[in-house]
Amino acid sequence: MNATNPLEQLLAERNDLWRGRRRHPDNALATGRAALDRRLPDGGWPRGKLVELLPERFGAGELDLLLPCLAELTRREQPVLFIAPPMVPCPQSLARAGLDLTRLLIVREQRHAFWAAEQCLKSGLCGALAVWPGGNGNNVSDRAVRRLQLAAESGDAPVFLCYEPGSKPPASLANLRLAIRCGGHIEILRSRGGETSGTIRLHADNVVPLLSGGARQ
Amino acid sequence: MSGSLWTGIVCPQGALQAVLRLLPALAPATATALYDTVSGRARIVEINRAARSQGVYPGQALADALAIAPDLESLARDRKAEARLLEELALVAYRYSHQVAITGDGVVLETGGSRRLHGDLDAMLGALNDEISAMGLHASLGTAPVPTAACLLARTGRHVTDTETLRGTLSGWPLHRLTLAPAELQKLDGLGLKSVRDVLALPRFERERRLGRTLNRYLDQIHGREQTPLVYWQPPETFCQLLELPVPTIRSEALLFALNRVLEHLHQWLRVRDRALSGIEIELLPEDRGPKIELSAGLGQPGFQRDRLLEILRLKLDSIRLVSAIESLRVRADSTTEQRPPQADLWTGTNVNDAWPALIDRLVARIGQEGLCSIAPCPDHRPEKAWKWTPPGTTTTDADTPPRPNWLLPEPRPCRTDELRLIDGPERIEAGWWDGQDCRRDYWTAHDRHGNRLWVFREYKPRDGWFVHGLFG
Repeated sequence: MNATNPLEQLLAERNDLWRGRRRHPDNALATGRAALDRRLPDGGWPRGKLVELLPERFGAGELDLLLPCLAELTRREQPVLFIAPPMVPCPQSLARAGLDLTRLLIVREQRHAFWAAEQCLKSGLCGALAVWPGGNGNNVSDRAVRRLQLAAESGDAPVFLCYEPGSKPPASLANLRLAIRCGGHIEILRSRGGETSGTIRLHADNVVPLLSGGARQ
Repeated sequence: MSGSLWTGIVCPQGALQAVLRLLPALAPATATALYDTVSGRARIVEINRAARSQGVYPGQALADALAIAPDLESLARDRKAEARLLEELALVAYRYSHQVAITGDGVVLETGGSRRLHGDLDAMLGALNDEISAMGLHASLGTAPVPTAACLLARTGRHVTDTETLRGTLSGWPLHRLTLAPAELQKLDGLGLKSVRDVLALPRFERERRLGRTLNRYLDQIHGREQTPLVYWQPPETFCQLLELPVPTIRSEALLFALNRVLEHLHQWLRVRDRALSGIEIELLPEDRGPKIELSAGLGQPGFQRDRLLEILRLKLDSIRLVSAIESLRVRADSTTEQRPPQADLWTGTNVNDAWPALIDRLVARIGQEGLCSIAPCPDHRPEKAWKWTPPGTTTTDADTPPRPNWLLPEPRPCRTDELRLIDGPERIEAGWWDGQDCRRDYWTAHDRHGNRLWVFREYKPRDGWFVHGLFG
């Protein structure tokens, strides 16, 4: 990673050079965390893209990470889907985070996870999808992920794919792959058009309430 | 009868069409013949053009026809399918007139009165014909001032609006064009009478003496001298159909094709009855008399969209493994007259009102009612009873509860305390004495050695011990 730095510097000095990595605020949804937003190439969760999350252990903080953005979407009256969550999302906790529960749909069947996700994305009606492909120790096939990514690109919604801790995720073409360490550290493993170094520590103090408010912190 | 005008609809080769429309399209070049078994002998009844060019003709024994044309697609005649075809035609016709009757081989409807409502007769008949074509049928229409003649004229596609022209037209007709029994035709032929004109030239008294009353009355009826008694057809109150497939099949594509035909019929029925579909039940009856397979689909929003319904049925069929060929289908529709306003309060904004229920229907069709839900808080202090699955899009609001973890374990799991560091608590929960599931617990937020935040409790009643109940994060 260090080897690219002199090149980065050289390129940054040229002001007559247009570089592809520009921030498109419209293409992103604010994550609700300034520290993370700054590190993501689009300045937030990319719309219509696949985001892979690799929690170290289940419940390492993946839902905490997503909730501000999901809550904001439901406040904009866009449905949000949880597909095959491995445990029961606590409604009181979700409501406390500002999520409008009437706009939350949960697909409980693991078997149909990818199919349901694809249908939702094709319809173009959903604000965001969070998919837990799980699979009882079976690894997720890269073909399924590829299909999901294609479906995501046809729509506007970000798709969060939460791999089962300990499973081996397929080599992916996703835009963003984040590892979530216990205690809420985040490491960007892959970021198309962005930097991948370093970990981000998500403290309670760098949580910025989103504009429309409502999150009771 | 003056002023009234009748339109007849007949399907040329109706028996063949009735069977073929239930089968996924055969190539038009396929020689196809319909046979009927009369007193133990299978004889060809109707054939298509390709069969005719191979030398097959109606009346031929099936064995002979197969000897001439070994590739002949031979199908058994299905009188029930023919009757259903007429019912379907009647249903379409009923939307244009309330006076509809099923005659032997066609449907007549009164169009003189409807003309005032629908405007130009040609435009109305054009629309009627288009609708019949959309059903995958080829029909021919004819108009006459008398119902009996309307069906006759329909076969030649003539439209006549006054009695004089009708009489002129009919008089030139050879007798075999009328619907007469073969014995009667033979008798008339024996008398040297070839055309309608010849018969009418006979003095009335003579005619009645020689040819009998029935024939005379028939002639009077087609000429409009005597009224034709008609039994008016009414659309059924409920929609329930038993469909026998011409060829038993195990392929879901073929089943869907047949179902599509039923949906067409259902669509017409809903329109005539002014109802909205709320659900559909389908029974698949296997050939080997095995247990029947039942499918049902409910619609989130009553209405009828064939594509959507077909897709739902396709999903339902995909999830079933057929082990033996299906011989017949029974389709029953649940409908409602209730007109629900579009769900504008829910999922508004960028959502198309109708598209969201459609998506939910599609998901439920495959995943099942249980598999797709929303979640709602319940007013109960015991955390495992403080939530429930609810139908999609419904939930309740919650009175303030102390902070809860994001994830709840389906069941609390016993844990060891030596690896936990309690950081926040306790929250004493003591409840359930009223329903016999009395419990007393102290809830804590704890860190395990990996740094995960857990929601654990010490239970005193009914068990004693430490349990994990949820995960923060």
